[in-house]
Amino acid sequence: MKKLLAVALAGMMMLGVLAGCGGGQEKAASGGSVVEINFPTHWVGISVTAPWFQERLSAFNEQYGDKIKVTVEEIAGDQNYVDKMKVLYSSKSLPDAISTGGYNLIDSMKDQLVDLTDYMDDEWRSRASDICWDVNSRDGKIYGIPYTRQVIGYFYNKDLFTKAGIDKPAETWDEFFSQCDKLLAAGITPLSMDTADSGWVTSLMLGAMIGQTEAGEAFMNTNLPTDYNTPEFIEAAGNIQKMFQKYTTPDAVGGAYENAASNFFMEETAIIANGPWMVSDFYDTSLVEDGFADKIGTAMYPGGVMYNSGKIGFNIASKDEKTLEATLTFVKFLTSEESQLKMLEMTGDTPAAEGLASDAVKPLVNEVMANGDAASRCINDFQSLWYANVIDEISVQYPLLARGQITPEQFAQALTDAAAKN
Amino acid sequence: MRKKPSFWRVLRFLFLGFFVLISIGPLVWIVMSSFKSNREILSSAFSLPTSLDPIGYITALEMAPIFTFYKNSVIISALSTLLNVVAVSMAAYVLARHKFKGNTFILLMLSMSMLIPTASLLMPIYKIMTTLGLFNTRLCLILVYAALGLPTSLFIFRSYFQGIPKELEEAAYIDGAGFFRTFFTIVFPLAKPGLATGAILQFLTSWNEFMFALILTSSTEVRTLPLALNYFTSQFSFNFTAMFAALTMVILPSVVVYVLLQEQITSSMVDGAIKG
Repeated sequence: MKKLLAVALAGMMMLGVLAGCGGGQEKAASGGSVVEINFPTHWVGISVTAPWFQERLSAFNEQYGDKIKVTVEEIAGDQNYVDKMKVLYSSKSLPDAISTGGYNLIDSMKDQLVDLTDYMDDEWRSRASDICWDVNSRDGKIYGIPYTRQVIGYFYNKDLFTKAGIDKPAETWDEFFSQCDKLLAAGITPLSMDTADSGWVTSLMLGAMIGQTEAGEAFMNTNLPTDYNTPEFIEAAGNIQKMFQKYTTPDAVGGAYENAASNFFMEETAIIANGPWMVSDFYDTSLVEDGFADKIGTAMYPGGVMYNSGKIGFNIASKDEKTLEATLTFVKFLTSEESQLKMLEMTGDTPAAEGLASDAVKPLVNEVMANGDAASRCINDFQSLWYANVIDEISVQYPLLARGQITPEQFAQALTDAAAKN
Repeated sequence: MRKKPSFWRVLRFLFLGFFVLISIGPLVWIVMSSFKSNREILSSAFSLPTSLDPIGYITALEMAPIFTFYKNSVIISALSTLLNVVAVSMAAYVLARHKFKGNTFILLMLSMSMLIPTASLLMPIYKIMTTLGLFNTRLCLILVYAALGLPTSLFIFRSYFQGIPKELEEAAYIDGAGFFRTFFTIVFPLAKPGLATGAILQFLTSWNEFMFALILTSSTEVRTLPLALNYFTSQFSFNFTAMFAALTMVILPSVVVYVLLQEQITSSMVDGAIKG
């Protein structure tokens, strides 16, 4: 009997220990009229946007803390964020507000996202240019609130250009490749490239080459393209293959953005395609040599092409009017002109609103924005417009293309096949 | 007179030296890099640090709640291992010793769960846990991890129990011991090496698991270490110094525990392998 009692007590203790482990879930003490909304974010840790978000969240809590409680879930890593949203979507449990930082989840999740068209007023609409609203709308309905624009060209190392006898960035792609040859002849690797995580740096070059013609520009501004077997795409893929095989570093195949950026920071490559948010790194002496920023120039892609487009903004998936109202207040605050301006100053990200400028911005950021305004062809980036599985497929296909295991035509067909699965 | 080292002796040392280098090299490199600036890591990856600047450690602790994650990892891994070993060993014992109708079917069903891809389990488990009110709790991860390790542990434990002579249990029954007493006082202690093997594998699985920890939790209060390492790289920024400092903090205790308990760990692994 004693033994039985001991076993029963031990069992109860075990259950007690396990139940004690359930203490992590803490309900908000939301007494009275405080509405609780949840917002998962990847603006944590090393993310360049983390300080901006912390500052804005504090400001929001100061102003609305007595009415709205924002429960922030930290999801470190952009891809982890998207992966979690996919699981939450399939469980019909999307959070109140979502910000993917550019990944297009609208097309795959819009049945669970709130159509925000009726909640827009003129003042809110004026906070972003038309191209930003276009990217966030489907069939005339608004599913996302923009807060930044994508203005992306490329950066080049002026010192390395001078060493190779190049005095200014190329105006045509033929000239661009002849400059690459000059750099090679001077013992300098011309391009930073990557293949992992959708090969961001490489894909920017790919898109810029596609967008040099009218048909290509139209393709790069098409939402969810399904056919990649176009002459512009195949020609650009061929050039990317040439770049991989001749003009980049050995770690490009398999490498991610970090590898591409590191090579540029260490002055091992002369050119990298990326947006103005990278500029703050040019001044970070833990990454680059002192004075590195002075060596850097900004350029449009040959043919006057620039990425100058809207970017997917905040999506809302609140399930009742009360939380929807609170979420709209929160998103309205984060997309206000003040918030956009602070983002420009703190991260270098281009505001969605036209004409917003600040003296507190690094000169290179303003140069990129000026290039965007002067571009003769404006294109959108692949992450905003292409199907998510096509973006994933790029990382699979780039190494094959780089090693010559597939032709540019097969590369185009692989992306077409991926798009057809949607 | 000292004997000259023979060719084979030199070759043996070279061989052992090579394995020591590839085993310890990466760990030493991580610790070394945690004291170097990002620039030093990028420019000369294999150089020695110029100073023992702890800035990487300070930054890592500021950026991510590493100690909270560490505490959670220890609690969750330890308890999921305990639960797995206690529950699965009982099931394995019955399946190893008692022939009854449906024995093979149960074994097959439990083993088949090994064939289900983890990604396809995410959504249903998320649904179950939210329905049970266990979402964002340590208990949730303990239960899931204990269940995930079930097929592996079952295989190890069952084959170990089959290797224990039946006569020992028969002797216990003759002496008047009941079923539970025979299991807990005779069989369980005899199966220690096999149980240790399963426990180590279960602990390592729980310690390193990432996806369920990400999906089934939402607050840093209950999250585990594998999630912490993502705080130091994002799509457009990285801090290698802080990341290597965090990695050092994450791996050093495991290395110390392994060094202290290496005899027990290796002997249990070997025993498990032989008996299996």
